[in-house]
Amino acid sequence: MGNRLGVLSISLFALLFSIPILIILLSLFNEYSENWFHIYNTVLSEYVLNSFILFFGVSVGVFILGVPTAWIVATSDFKFKKIISCALVLPFAVPPYIMAYSFTGLFDSYGTANELIRTAFDTADNYVFFPSIRNIGGAIIVFSLTLYPYIYLISYNAFLNQSRDIFDVSRTLGLSKIKTFFKIGIPITRPAIVAGLMIVAMETLSDFGAVEHFAVPTFTTGIFRAWFGLYDLTTAKQLAANLFIIFLVLIAIEKFSRRKINYINNSISNKNLTITKLKGKWESVAIAICLIPIIFGFLIPSSQLLYWTINYKLSFFDQNLLYTIFNSVYLALISGLFCIVIGTLINYLLRINKSKFLSLLNNIITSGYGIPGIVLSVGILNFFLFLDESLNVFLIGTVLGLIFAYSIKFYALPNSSIQSGLKKISVNLDDVTKTMGYNKIKLLLKVHVPLLRNSYLTGILIFMIDVIKELPMTLILRPFNFNTLSVSAYTYAADERMVEAAAPSIAIIMVCLIPIFFVFKSIKETTDE
Amino acid sequence: MFKSYFFLFFLFTSSVFSQEIVNLYTSRHYDSDIELYDKFEEKTGIKVNYVSGKGKALIQRIKSEGLNCPADIFITVDAGNLWRIQKDNLFQKIKSNKIKKILDSKYVDSNGNWIGLAKRYRVIVYNPEKIDSLRMSKINYEDLASDEFKNRIVIRSSSNIYNQSLLSSLIYHNGENYTKKWLLNFVGNFARKPQGNDRAQIMAVANGEADIAIVNHYYIGIMLSGKAGQKQRESALKVKVAFPNQQNRGTMVNVSGGGILKNSPNYKNAIKFLEFLLEEESQRHIVSNTYEYPIIDDLDPSPIIKKLGSNIVEDSLPVEVLGEMNPKAVKMMDVAGWR
Repeated sequence: MGNRLGVLSISLFALLFSIPILIILLSLFNEYSENWFHIYNTVLSEYVLNSFILFFGVSVGVFILGVPTAWIVATSDFKFKKIISCALVLPFAVPPYIMAYSFTGLFDSYGTANELIRTAFDTADNYVFFPSIRNIGGAIIVFSLTLYPYIYLISYNAFLNQSRDIFDVSRTLGLSKIKTFFKIGIPITRPAIVAGLMIVAMETLSDFGAVEHFAVPTFTTGIFRAWFGLYDLTTAKQLAANLFIIFLVLIAIEKFSRRKINYINNSISNKNLTITKLKGKWESVAIAICLIPIIFGFLIPSSQLLYWTINYKLSFFDQNLLYTIFNSVYLALISGLFCIVIGTLINYLLRINKSKFLSLLNNIITSGYGIPGIVLSVGILNFFLFLDESLNVFLIGTVLGLIFAYSIKFYALPNSSIQSGLKKISVNLDDVTKTMGYNKIKLLLKVHVPLLRNSYLTGILIFMIDVIKELPMTLILRPFNFNTLSVSAYTYAADERMVEAAAPSIAIIMVCLIPIFFVFKSIKETTDE
Repeated sequence: MFKSYFFLFFLFTSSVFSQEIVNLYTSRHYDSDIELYDKFEEKTGIKVNYVSGKGKALIQRIKSEGLNCPADIFITVDAGNLWRIQKDNLFQKIKSNKIKKILDSKYVDSNGNWIGLAKRYRVIVYNPEKIDSLRMSKINYEDLASDEFKNRIVIRSSSNIYNQSLLSSLIYHNGENYTKKWLLNFVGNFARKPQGNDRAQIMAVANGEADIAIVNHYYIGIMLSGKAGQKQRESALKVKVAFPNQQNRGTMVNVSGGGILKNSPNYKNAIKFLEFLLEEESQRHIVSNTYEYPIIDDLDPSPIIKKLGSNIVEDSLPVEVLGEMNPKAVKMMDVAGWR
């Protein structure tokens, strides 16, 4: 087999990328200190319970917000559809901890929303209308609102890629559009949705800023506590490794559960979905459903941010901002393209040569997404210590190191969209091209890559937005005097100066608008063809 | 893109090598500090390069970089981190007669490895309509566990380093057994589950959700200044500040401080920079922007802060204690159910 060399070289490459993660994992073989047992005996059960509730609540939340909206946008036409389909991604541009700050700024007893109610109804000064959101319920709402766009994008893409035949059959069998959604739409996009939920779970459970703000101690709280409070980095790594293993197991279960199900549509029908033109009542309902997440996830928090910006920190928008934006964007773009290439190679090789080793490595790098960034950066900091200490200068405090770090942390995102994209390409197609004399490289470049176009676009979009929002790794690995947008936001937010942190947060949102716009324009073009 | 970046990178680094520099890792992240770096460069021609980040993470970076660590100075906002880095033997002695002369020896590490740069007090904020000011002038941290304050106290989560430091100081002064009991009663006095930051606690007191909050003093300064918005200013005007333990050992103080790293490539410049930070003008710049207290004698804090109290009796515990006791404090908080 000529591709053995390919598998070998890509495996080596993947192994290189797994090392920082493996360094964290190796901590499992270190001695367990008394701190470990202290955490285990006193607080761990509470952390685990909170993490589980959060995971469950957010999964339900993002599903409810993401899947129906994707279905509506993918299968029907209505007024303002273009704007709405783009705007549904916007809440994703708001970092969860910023959204948390902005929500508490609104809904705390002294928040803007309660003040408006007091003024409007002329009630007593201490009258509080809105219930407190500084609890696990509030955390679930905030995470759902900022993370549902993953599910929206992934399932939107999955719906678009379905051939219309299956839906046509369903409709001719007399199922209503709503029934078709439940009976056909959801099951058929299940792999994509489940993969999306995995990503949401990892992002939620590796977050620290927002849960801290909402006073919900989770597993990550324990990691930080061990390191920052007990001065015990080993225990922190061990906790992170445990979390990581949970994700690895979840991924395995997910794969196993659909081992026997073959969703690949073999008819190779290239007819696009029938788009229903909605009218009257149904048009209003569709718009209303799509507007809910846009209003609560974007318009409300960003108006709060905009209000703060205009009143206190317009000066942030000066020429220095251009450098900062440039740093954020080119780092995101380079590491994003890099991950797309690696993700394509790995997944393509896995398709034509089912190497177990490579598959395991791929799962490991993917689960790296669930390791809190600050812990992962410890793995990266130690990376070259494995080989030679002097090599560390190439990685720590360099742009190269940042690109490396982002690629490891966020590889899961393009990987998951490439995976679900590849699954939709029929194996028959591969066979057909083989008979046409295509070799494996030609098959990849001439057949798969063009078909994966939409997967690439969604993959790189979420990747870029996540890199632009990324904070802990950037903070610790960056070169001297080097700022990104999220670092600027943190500079103020860390000191609790939210009214000043609002300006860079608004800048993050505006910069994220650019890839969102481009991606939607491109996705649109392919479906219009 | 990649190539052009590397070109830029080398351009950048080579321009750095031709100039005198000092490299800084700092967990202070104030715009006003950056203004200070510019002033230093204006005055001495030495350019300050900086990376700001979380203290513990920066320590990890220093360790990983080992002999190649480009940083000359490490500055942090918490004495615990200074203790930590010294324990790992990553500092070297600061040899400067000027600093010795300016700085009170209690703000210099006993081995001469690091110095304080500014002070922060852990104070009590209260609602003067609910609690008598005379009573509060005599308040001790120890009193906060008494039934007098049942369901009246708000404080942020125990993950916060300043809460951990406060508890460390209590362990040091009162012993473990006393502190364990104290902690249980104290947690029982919380008006709500710990949540939000120090400002959120002050807002809660201003809005009548609780009567007492324990916070770092400078948040009141920032809020009163109006820099954080009119609403925060109005809230801060509704509350008063008490400095605990004024009749006895004094209010707990934490320092923001720094030292020179072992492998510092620009030692001389590092000394110059630390000396510069202790000059009266620099100290004035710091305190008028961050509302910290100056570390040098004979300089007033910002007028807003001066109104809160002057000639404050200060807890004289060696700040290293805050680092040493920290893990113990965290464990006690876990056991007492302070999340």
